[in-house]
Amino acid sequence: MSETLTAPPAPPAEAPAKRPSRVAEALWLVIPYVVSVVLAFVVGGLIIAAIGRDPFAAFESVLTTSFNTRFGTIETLHKWVPVLLCAYAFAIPLATGKFNIGAEGQLLVGATGGVALGILWSDLPMIVLLPCVLIAGALAGAVWAGIAAFLMTKFQVNEILSTVVLNFISFQLIDYVASHVWPDRGAGHPATTPVGEGALLPGIGQAPPMHTGVLLTVLLVIVIAVFMRRTSTGFEMRAVGANLRAAQVHGIRTSRLAGAGLVVGGAVAGLAGAIEVAGVHGKMLEGMQSNFLILGIIVGLMARGSMLALPFIAFGIAVLEVGAGSMQRTAQVPVEMVLIIEALILLFLLLSDIARAKIRRS
Amino acid sequence: MGEITEFLTLMIPAMVPFLLAAQGTVLSGRAGVFNVSQEGLMVLGAAVGFLVSFKAGSNTVGMAAAFAIAGVFGLVLAYMTTQLRLDQFVVGLALYFAALGAAGLLYREVIGITMEPPLIPTLEDKPIPLLSDIPFLGEVLFDHDLVVYLAFAISLAIWWFMYKTRSGLAFRSIGENPKAADSLGINVTWARTWSTVVGSGLVGMAGAYLPMVYTGLYTEGMVAGRGWLVIALAFLGGWRPHLVVAGAAFFAGMEVLALRAQVAGIGIPHQFVLMLPYVATLLVMVFAFRWARQPSFLGRNYDRESRLVG
Repeated sequence: MSETLTAPPAPPAEAPAKRPSRVAEALWLVIPYVVSVVLAFVVGGLIIAAIGRDPFAAFESVLTTSFNTRFGTIETLHKWVPVLLCAYAFAIPLATGKFNIGAEGQLLVGATGGVALGILWSDLPMIVLLPCVLIAGALAGAVWAGIAAFLMTKFQVNEILSTVVLNFISFQLIDYVASHVWPDRGAGHPATTPVGEGALLPGIGQAPPMHTGVLLTVLLVIVIAVFMRRTSTGFEMRAVGANLRAAQVHGIRTSRLAGAGLVVGGAVAGLAGAIEVAGVHGKMLEGMQSNFLILGIIVGLMARGSMLALPFIAFGIAVLEVGAGSMQRTAQVPVEMVLIIEALILLFLLLSDIARAKIRRS
Repeated sequence: MGEITEFLTLMIPAMVPFLLAAQGTVLSGRAGVFNVSQEGLMVLGAAVGFLVSFKAGSNTVGMAAAFAIAGVFGLVLAYMTTQLRLDQFVVGLALYFAALGAAGLLYREVIGITMEPPLIPTLEDKPIPLLSDIPFLGEVLFDHDLVVYLAFAISLAIWWFMYKTRSGLAFRSIGENPKAADSLGINVTWARTWSTVVGSGLVGMAGAYLPMVYTGLYTEGMVAGRGWLVIALAFLGGWRPHLVVAGAAFFAGMEVLALRAQVAGIGIPHQFVLMLPYVATLLVMVFAFRWARQPSFLGRNYDRESRLVG
């Protein structure tokens, strides 16, 4: 029983010594990703060729846009932040076996919380206002996920459903805030008025500057990794996810932990919303959640329980997403192609488990 | 037309997407396959149904195409979960993304960017002779397009199959205890495969109905979370086809109510009115999860060689 509690999802560095070797173990970890990505691109290339476009031109712009120009790099990093945070919002509750499909709603409500303070207290200096905005975002996201957590622990309402339904409520909520509470009539699109100067994350470098939310996110990556690996709560969360019954036998209060996982996930997604407001848009606008929910889930599933893998996979997905736009411009391949390739990578990654089991057995 | 008659007359067609998709979900769910790709399959069904109707000039062909393409996705889900025993939720989510991407790609490729969005003819009402002459009931129940009748007929057929036939009993036992079913010579894999293919096909049809009934055009956000509500509906109906009909009436009623309140302008900002169906769903789920039960093997893969479960 203790074996099931500690074994997954251990990275190679902490693997027990009895395993074959660290190099082999690391290879087993990396090769499936490489093979899946290559296969997904091959299948994607065939589809692109089938609709009469040049797959090589398309892939060249997908893979190089992020690194060709400073602008592309900054854009990728700016995309990396919400994708990664939404991936955490999905992966942290998943560590306790719960599916959070509500990162989009949590992000939007977090953005609402952030923008509310940014507008109401717009005269405050940055040193006071900026932390308030970010904290308000995280709190608002936590409260929003907290509704689902409450319904789950008190009434056994399935968290997949409640978090999804809350997304749709949040769409209406931000539409209301953007059109009735702090409307910007001149924007031509439902949006709030800009937040005060002090609510904006400072930029680094000349135009276009990188916002410091990127550094904040790096810090958060470390905090979460330490939390999951080194604290007893993190250990308990992983134990619950690995084997629910074993965890209960060992006296872990599973339902409370699962609820806490959802709330923490919501806080992270809410923070993403606040960072989007403070770093990218300077206000809240409809559609700012883009595809972050879907991308977060894809990253969360690809990481397969490893909190350490998340930032790297999220970066890869951000590269693809930024490349998608330029692919559409230069090779006339619709942006949706990238979503199909991402789904294919995920499916091939799942299949790799079976291939791996077969190879190991033979 | 009285207020109530009008409300009910609008509600019946609004039930159709919920009914078709939820019965499809229930069908595979009772064999133990928990499909979570509904939202994507409905979007794909709407896109394919629309495009094929537009190109072929026939809504029937469009419906059939939507059924077929979603059925193919169902086949992939069934193969990956019954043969390869991959996690049902994860495969379902991956298929959701793939379907969403495919829908956008297809629409953009076939239609391109146009100033005037293309239109297809909406479905015509086909009153049933004699029955539609009954006062009140005739107007409410028997004066709709053919897909409405089809959706109710499918619901009836699934209920009849599950509860009134011997093979239906065997079929239901798979979702409760596949090992026991297997030992009685019931082919678990085959039952899960066909029910997932047919069930997914119904979800695709549910999506295709959307562009065909209201506006005749396809827009990206037109499914608007109905695919997820359908899963809630399956739970709400306790995975029983007849109760799902009642649940679909509730969801459709909420939808019509929100639309009408928005048009009538009742003094509340329309955003709060549009929240109504979702808030009601949350509240109802609080009660639904207390009394509704689900197939005990729902969402779990069956491995006949494993001695652990079943």
